[in-house]
Order: sequence, then C-alpha cells, then structure tokens
Amino acid sequence: MYQLLLTKRYLSSKIMPLLAALAVALCTAMVIIVWSVMGGFLVMLINSGRTLVGDVSISWPVTGFAHYEDLIKRLEADPEIAGATPMIETYGLIGLPDGRTETVQVRGIDGPSFAKVTEWNDILYWRPKDAPDPKDTGSSDMRLRRKEVWQQIYEGGKKLTRLERSKAHPEGIDRPGVVPGISVSGFNFREKWGFFPGTPYIRTREGDKTPAEMLMLPVDGYVTLNVLPMDSKGRAIEMVARKFPVANEFHSGLYEIDHRTVFVQLGALQDMLKMNRAQRVKEGTGGVVRKGDREEFAAPVVIGEEPARVTNILVRGKRDTFDPKDADKLAERCRQIYGAFAEAHPNEVPDLLSIRIQTWADLNQTMISAVKKETALVLFIFSFVSLTAVFLVLAIFWAMVSEKTRDIGILRAVGASRSGVAGLWLLYGAAIGITGSALGFALAYLIVSNINGIHEWLGERLGLYIWDPRIYYFSRIPSDLQASNVAIVLAGGVVASCLGALIPAARAARMHPVRALRFE
Amino acid sequence: MTTLAPKPAPSPTTSAQKAGAVLRAVNVRKTYQLGRTSVPVLRGVDFQVRHGEFVAILGASGSGKSTLLHLLGGLDSVDRSDDQPPTSILFEDIDLARISAGRLDNYRRRRVGFVFQFYHLLPELNILQNVVIAAMTAMGSFEYWRTKSAIRDRAAELLERVGLKERLSHKPAELSGGERQRVAIARALINQPDLLLADEPTGNLDRATGGSILDLFSDLHRRGQTMVVVTHDEHTAARADRVVRLVDGKVQG
Repeated sequence: MYQLLLTKRYLSSKIMPLLAALAVALCTAMVIIVWSVMGGFLVMLINSGRTLVGDVSISWPVTGFAHYEDLIKRLEADPEIAGATPMIETYGLIGLPDGRTETVQVRGIDGPSFAKVTEWNDILYWRPKDAPDPKDTGSSDMRLRRKEVWQQIYEGGKKLTRLERSKAHPEGIDRPGVVPGISVSGFNFREKWGFFPGTPYIRTREGDKTPAEMLMLPVDGYVTLNVLPMDSKGRAIEMVARKFPVANEFHSGLYEIDHRTVFVQLGALQDMLKMNRAQRVKEGTGGVVRKGDREEFAAPVVIGEEPARVTNILVRGKRDTFDPKDADKLAERCRQIYGAFAEAHPNEVPDLLSIRIQTWADLNQTMISAVKKETALVLFIFSFVSLTAVFLVLAIFWAMVSEKTRDIGILRAVGASRSGVAGLWLLYGAAIGITGSALGFALAYLIVSNINGIHEWLGERLGLYIWDPRIYYFSRIPSDLQASNVAIVLAGGVVASCLGALIPAARAARMHPVRALRFE
Repeated sequence: MTTLAPKPAPSPTTSAQKAGAVLRAVNVRKTYQLGRTSVPVLRGVDFQVRHGEFVAILGASGSGKSTLLHLLGGLDSVDRSDDQPPTSILFEDIDLARISAGRLDNYRRRRVGFVFQFYHLLPELNILQNVVIAAMTAMGSFEYWRTKSAIRDRAAELLERVGLKERLSHKPAELSGGERQRVAIARALINQPDLLLADEPTGNLDRATGGSILDLFSDLHRRGQTMVVVTHDEHTAARADRVVRLVDGKVQG
C-alpha cells in the first residue's frame, strides 16, 4: 500500500521519472506510427488490388473458355454472389499519338457488368469535379470547368465508348473506345501532391514538356492497339491492329496498373482476338471452286457454331471479403458452381481440375506478402530500437535509487521488507510505463490522424517530402490504427519499463538498512 | 510461546510481565570491516531492559552505542562465530539472529519504533503521511483500506499529542528540527510498539527544543512505554530510570 502512495508522490515531484516516461512515450509512439502507416499501406494495397479484380477470378488464360454467359448466370443465381463479369486478359502494344509504342496489359471488359464487380465507375479519372483538391490552390484542375463535357466523357468511360459526331451523324454515335491507365500515355503529369491537374501535353522530344500540341486524349485522342490473336488450340494467328478513340482514363492508385493497363470494350477485343462467336465449317469446303470451266466462290459448309470466349470471370461476393478466409470460402463456392458448369459442357470448357480459381489475395500474393514481410522487418527494427527505452529507464532508475537510498533505509527501519522495497520500484516502473505508454498513444494518435497535414506542413516549411506521391503507389500517406496493435505496443511499453526497473529494484531491495540510513 | 506475529489488542500489563526482561543483550559483538582492517565496535555487551523501563545507553562518540541500537532494533545482525562465546539479542526470549527475514521485518514493524537523530522523514510526504506510512508497512492493502480512517485518526491524534495538530499537511521541509523530531516520535508510536528505540533524539536540537522532546519521552514513559535511548549527553541520560555506560564497545561497571 505504501508503494502506491510513494509512487504517486515520486511521480509528481521529480523531473527524472518524467524523462523516463518521455522516453517510453517516444518509443511507443514511434512503433505505433510505423505499424499504423505500414498497416494502412497494406490495407490500401489490398483494397487497390481488389479494385480491379473483385473477390474471385475464374480464369483460363490465353485461349479462354466458352459458354461464359451460362457460367455467369449460374454464378449470379447463387445467394452468396452479388455479380459476375466476363473479361479478357492479354498483352499487346499501344501506339500513342506522339509515335511511341508501349507494351501494355490489355483487358477487355463489359463496362456496366464490370462496374458491378469492381470499382470501375469510381476509378474513371475524367469526370466533373465540384471542388478542387485541397492543394490545388489555383484551381488548375480542368475538371472543375465545362462539366457537361466531363459528364459526357465520364458516361462514355463507363461503357468504354466515345460519342463521335460527323456530317453523316450530327447527333453523334458511340464508338467502341479504350480506357488506358492515367500514366500509360505519359501526357498526364502528376503534381507533387498526387493529382493530375489535367493539362495535356504532347512530348515531342524526350524530356521536353512543352505543350507543342494541345491534345486531350479523352476528347480527341486516338491510340492504336495491337494484339496477337490465338486460335482455340493456342496457336498464334497474325497480329491485329486497330485504332480506338480514348473514351476516358482511369486512376486506380496502383502505379504498376495505372502505368501498364488498357481497358477496351469486350466485344471489340473479342473481335480482334478471334474470340467472338464464329461458325464452324467443314474442312475443305468453301472458297474458290471450279465448276466445269469456270471458277466461282462457294460458301463453306457450316457444321456448327463456335461460341464466344473470355479468359476470366470476375466474381464479387455479397459479403465483404476483406478477410482472406472469407474470400477462400467464396472461391470454394465458385469452384462448386464451376464443377456443375463443366459437367454441363463436357469437352467444351476446361475441367474443374484445370481451371484456375483464385481470390484477390492469391492474385496479389507477391505484393501483399512483400509488404507484410517489410512491415514485420520494419516493426522488428523499430521495436529493437525501442529497447533503448529499457536502458533509459534502467539508467534513470539506477540514479533515482541512489538518490533515494536514505528513503529506502527509512522504509526498512519502519518494517518494509526487501520484497516490499523491490515492489515499490517495480510499481514505479510500471507507473512510468503506463504514463509513458498513454502519452505515446496520445502522441501517435495525433500524428497518425494528421499525418498528411504534418507531411504537407513539413514539405511547405522545410521542403521535406518523406512520402513523394510521384514515387509511391498512393497519393496520400495511408494509416490504419488497429486497437489490437495499439494494445500490444502499449503493453510492450509497460513491460519494457518494468524490465528497466528490475535491476534498480533488486539493488534497492539488497541495500543494507543501516548503510542506507547513513547514506550521505 | 511468544511470537513476533502481529500483536493482539493491548491488554493490561501484569506485574509479572513488568518485572520480566523484554529485551536482553547477551555478549553482543560487532566488528566492521574497513577494507582489510577489522574494526571491533562492540566487544561483548551484556544488559537487559525490563517492561516499562526507560534505559539510557550513555557513551562517547564512537563507543558503539548507535550500532548497539541498530542491533537491538533488528536493523543489523550480531557477529556469530564458532570460536567465540555465544552472542545474542533476545526479545521476549526469542533470538533475533535466529528468526527469518520476514519475522525480523515484522519485529521492526510491530514491536519496535525508531527515533533517529536526523529524524529521517520522507521528504515527499506530508507529516500525516509520514506517520501513516509506518502503519501501512504493517498491513496488507485490504487491511489498510478497511482500517484506513481509523489509522488516519490515530496518526492525527498522535500528531496532536506531540503538538502538531495544525501542521498535518505540511511537508518536513516546512518544519523546524524539533517539530520534525516530534513527527518522528509520532511515527515510531503509530504501531503501538513494545519498545521505543531512540538514537541521540536531541543530538541535533538546541537545549530548549531538546528539553521539550525529553519531556515528551518522560511523558511516554509515565504512560508505560518501554524505551531505550542512546546518547552522549549526561542531561539526557539523567531522565532515564537506569543508565548503561558504554566505553570502547563494552558496558562499564
């Protein structure tokens, strides 16, 4: 009981314990901030990963599989599934207006159904904007003006079409278009605060950012898409090139995707890749045939129909599958549905053992596990650094025990036991730990809650940009303050403080009462 | 058998108990080691203190009287070796050298009370807390919370008896030397000890203040408190029932 009384008094009357508490506070705050930012980074990465793939992907790469409409119907009949959408995933080349050609991942999608499974409508970049970004002090973002134009482009982006007017069609017709990632063209320069102000430039020479020609891709830009079609056996056919109007651009936040991905209307890509519906003809029939002394064209003998194919079906569950285990359950459900589908189309679609059914976690495994490992490593390093708190508490307590030697003698003289005296210092250590951890949490909470504001302030005042959005995936510093993580760090702070107090406490307990009383 | 366990409620002292020795020092020896040099401080001290007796141990500086008091209060232990005659300090016939550390702590908590020359108050606590803390060491948390107000009342009453009723919330630094010593006396009495041990209680005070402290001791003695006071001052010793003279680590005469 006397330990509690003395701990209270010592805490409020000395500067040294406050220094020890401050050391604990700084260490706990540091670990909480690092954990929150790394955790937020991971959450953001996972969310972004899911943004364009939904929860589960059923895929048969390159050649694709047929009867996908039937599979989608079966999937959407399941009460656990909110929607399913077809997609073709392939690689190709994009020819840009300035003459450059880039390799890209080409994805053919059906805009409206893709939006049910992914965040498609949310990531389309060109759309009307009501208010400028906080850092866009000059309102330079062109999306703030001429909203009707951006609304039309936004609507076109949803369907992957661009309204084009001509003399023949003055009211305009929707032409199939492409939606490249915001960084594919290289015309959109990202501001240091992470947004693309929407000033189009054409790079006439490498490194030259002079707006030699004003060109707004979604308004009047065209790109050429080159893809290599394969037949159903996986054999390459001749390269196909087609010019597409740019319907919109997307910004997922993941640089790798924004830099290397182009979406195109599913039907158009199916057509280019020869994956659309086709007639199956009898071999050797059709073409030019000789009839007597004349040659004439004969239609081939149609013996059946080859259904259209896609490489992927993306599925979204009704429930949030943020937990990989939930996604696994949904994948299992999809597997059962695919099994029934494969039985209904024997020898026409890949069997259940061959088809690839992957969750968003499987698809982003490399990136997620890399970030998880990085988080663990950074946490280990920072926790190790935080061990200095143990030694700081030890040093401060050692000095305090020396200073309080006579008090220890007095306590022993009035009957305090050795364990009671040790308990006093351990309790004191715990009190320092609790105070320090509470302060650390408050500090970390303040910093994590205002991390972007603090970062911006540091950048403005000191030119110190720790998190450059031009380099990182995301334009804002992410954070995710998890209660369980905070509890672990705070408990760690208290334990570290008690550990630091352990040796001084043992020293205090071993003091000879008479020598302690005579201490000058 | 007498134990050093928590003391039962005080009962009227019988004449037989009054006559018996509460404390006996038998051939007490103590040597300090200063580097390689052994310095014998006590060379075989024999004396006893009876119930209700006020004994003064008189000796010059360095005669070993403070060491003897520390030994009597269980703060230090006597030298024991096989090649020397037996040495012991017996409290109610229990050899303090043969009991466990826990029982010795209990002895200091409940059976003896210390008053030191330099008061030895805890500077962070006010004077009421300085008195109460000695009671706190004698009980567990639950017992303390159960009897908290009674203990505080008793501490306040003791402080009132020593004339510090109006100073309860003052810190030791705000008191004079005499007042601090009064707080130390109240602290020593909070657990109603059988034996009050005082080490030069007036050694750091002027004659008038020292006199008032000795009056307090005399008053306590009249109320039946057993006391041992070590001093180098003849005037202080004159207040005692009996004077034991310590010269060069031995009782003289």
